[in-house]
Amino acid sequence: MDLYEYQARELLTAQNIATPDALYAKTSQEAVAAAERIGFPCVVKAQVKIGHRGQAGGVAMVNDAVEVERACARILPMSIGGHQVNGVLVAAAKNVLHEYYVSISLDRSSRDFDVLATANGGTEVEEIAKAHPESVKRLHISALETFDLDAARRMAQSIGFYHADVDQAAQVLLKMWKCFKDNDATLVEINPLAKVGDPDDESSKSLCALDAKISLDANASFRHKEWSSFRDDAQTDPFEVRARELGLHYVHLDGQVGVIGNGAGLVMSSLDAVSGAGLQQGTQVRPANFLDIGGGASSDVMRASLDIVLSDPQVRSVFINIYGGITSCEQVASGILEALEGLRSSVPIVVRFDGNEAGKGVRMLEEADDSRLRVCATMERAAQLSASLAASPSVADIHCETRHGVSSDTAVVQGHDESASSVADAPAEESMGGAR
Amino acid sequence: MNLFVNEETPVIVQGMTGHQGMMHTGRMLEAGTRIVGGVNPRKAGLQVAFRVGDDGREMAIPVFATCSEAKAATGARASVIFVPPRFAKSAMLEAIDAGIELIVVITEGIPVADTAYCVELALSKGISIVGPNCPGLLTLPRKDGKKGANLGIIPDGIVSSGPLGLISKSGTLTYQMMGELADIGFTACIGVGGDPIVGTTLTEALQCFEDDAETKTVVMIGEIGGNAEQDAAAWAETHMTKPVVAYIAGFTAPEGKQMGHAGAIVSGGKGTAQGKKEALEAAGIPVGRTPSQAAGLVREQLMGVEAR
Repeated sequence: MDLYEYQARELLTAQNIATPDALYAKTSQEAVAAAERIGFPCVVKAQVKIGHRGQAGGVAMVNDAVEVERACARILPMSIGGHQVNGVLVAAAKNVLHEYYVSISLDRSSRDFDVLATANGGTEVEEIAKAHPESVKRLHISALETFDLDAARRMAQSIGFYHADVDQAAQVLLKMWKCFKDNDATLVEINPLAKVGDPDDESSKSLCALDAKISLDANASFRHKEWSSFRDDAQTDPFEVRARELGLHYVHLDGQVGVIGNGAGLVMSSLDAVSGAGLQQGTQVRPANFLDIGGGASSDVMRASLDIVLSDPQVRSVFINIYGGITSCEQVASGILEALEGLRSSVPIVVRFDGNEAGKGVRMLEEADDSRLRVCATMERAAQLSASLAASPSVADIHCETRHGVSSDTAVVQGHDESASSVADAPAEESMGGAR
Repeated sequence: MNLFVNEETPVIVQGMTGHQGMMHTGRMLEAGTRIVGGVNPRKAGLQVAFRVGDDGREMAIPVFATCSEAKAATGARASVIFVPPRFAKSAMLEAIDAGIELIVVITEGIPVADTAYCVELALSKGISIVGPNCPGLLTLPRKDGKKGANLGIIPDGIVSSGPLGLISKSGTLTYQMMGELADIGFTACIGVGGDPIVGTTLTEALQCFEDDAETKTVVMIGEIGGNAEQDAAAWAETHMTKPVVAYIAGFTAPEGKQMGHAGAIVSGGKGTAQGKKEALEAAGIPVGRTPSQAAGLVREQLMGVEAR
């Protein structure tokens, strides 16, 4: 779970890491009031969960209320890298003498925590690493070790903080680590960690976190009730918000084939198969969503899943891919049939069963005699059929597809026959394209 | 501990008395796993009855308060953990403290800081963790007459013994691949899990199969997120004498979206399926476009091995 800068800033401030005076504002009026409280000059910064906002024009230095209004009029409606700006942070401008970069993150490969730092901060660390790889230091904190002030000081020295900054830097590192651990973060990044103050007055100089990025481990949400305030429903896809309320693992994509399966890997694999089929068939058909029902075979889960998937107006066909491990396909079949009762949609649903009781599951679907259902023997075939159904604006086109043998080893459930049966021949097709 | 457990390995189940624990303990017993106890401090002293085998004979499995008590009483060497995420860290720590040599963690949703701590502690003591968020570990009968064991939720009856080793980040794709290659058979299937930090990495699982004389070819199923596939490719290139075939799921996954598994996320352009495929292929590991195609590549490799 990624946080906005203004939220990350709160978590840093809670650890007594110095940050500029700043206030979050949702509207231009709020921003003007905030700027007047903080005092000019100040910086108006777009709140958006993506980098490079400065280059995109999402940051403005302002000197009076009119300039705040002008900046807000430009920034608030902006979308940066596909992310709609969600308010601005109005922060006191600082006299920056030097910029460092410091981050702590989970290291998946070494299975511990990475401290990445450079004395040349200010831009994206990837770019610094490219231009000056020797200046980026990578150090590790083990999950078992006690990271104390001595360790932090040694780390600050080896990072290469300038002599006068080492003690302060060690404090910042220590507080960042506490922030990381206390909040179950997977990333705490301060960029820039700036040396600010009057160049002629040594006593005025100090390290200050001018910008921050924090990501939290969603698996730890059960022990962080306070995270509910970080929920970002307004910025989340409405289908994903609804799916989460129903307890489903759903990700909204931009295609036409709804995909439902059991197991995250199998569903990802199904998405790839649908995309592959779309490419192969020369259509632009792509998966409309990721939806993992896990071991859930119940009609409730299936009904909720179909509801979500079919509420997406882009969806032209649905691909249900089940490998029965412990779950029996027979149970899943009965879940599908119960879910279909009372479902008003006429969108065709292609089902592929394999594994535990797959045969019984298929037979159950056949006997149900529902014109919306089709069964395929393999994942590839099911992906191809669902992709071709999604690309067909009318029944006629589906007939055309099947005559070309796209679904040669598939069969419409109604009148399913091991040997043959093309979609075109099946009476089931009559109701497919028509309104219901 | 060597991951090639067998029917003689004494196993305890932490969380045995819960719904999932009961169901899967029954299945594991049925598969011939030597379950010697369960752990639940609130039910210590109880005996839980399971009906096993065609004749439905009853097996009474004792419940202990702690892993240490269970180990002292039974000599348990391995544990399977089914407890909910919020109790998983203390369950893992308890098993580590008791000196259980192999800990298979099925639980999904464990905070990664908890896993990181337990994995590092286990590694420092020479204890193996498999998972979390994994289907577990299945070993099959061996040429020396030792039977296999099932530690986790991998269904029995899909495969029998054969020369393949299977490593996977994903549950159902494991079963899918087992089904595709059921006629050839496996030595073992290791579900390493879909979390960002796991106790046994793809590389460590490859090493297990490299060291196993009966395994001739390895199938590895990866997915988006992290660098485990790249790390495995680099390791295999210099250390692996046996052919490896891979499949990667998630080419269609968009940037910044977690695809079900906690670890399955492309971020900052890193962890893409394409990047993994390229790294594997550069290391001489063919990558199938679909699970079926990967299975076909395995057959080709195996014919090559036999021809040698």
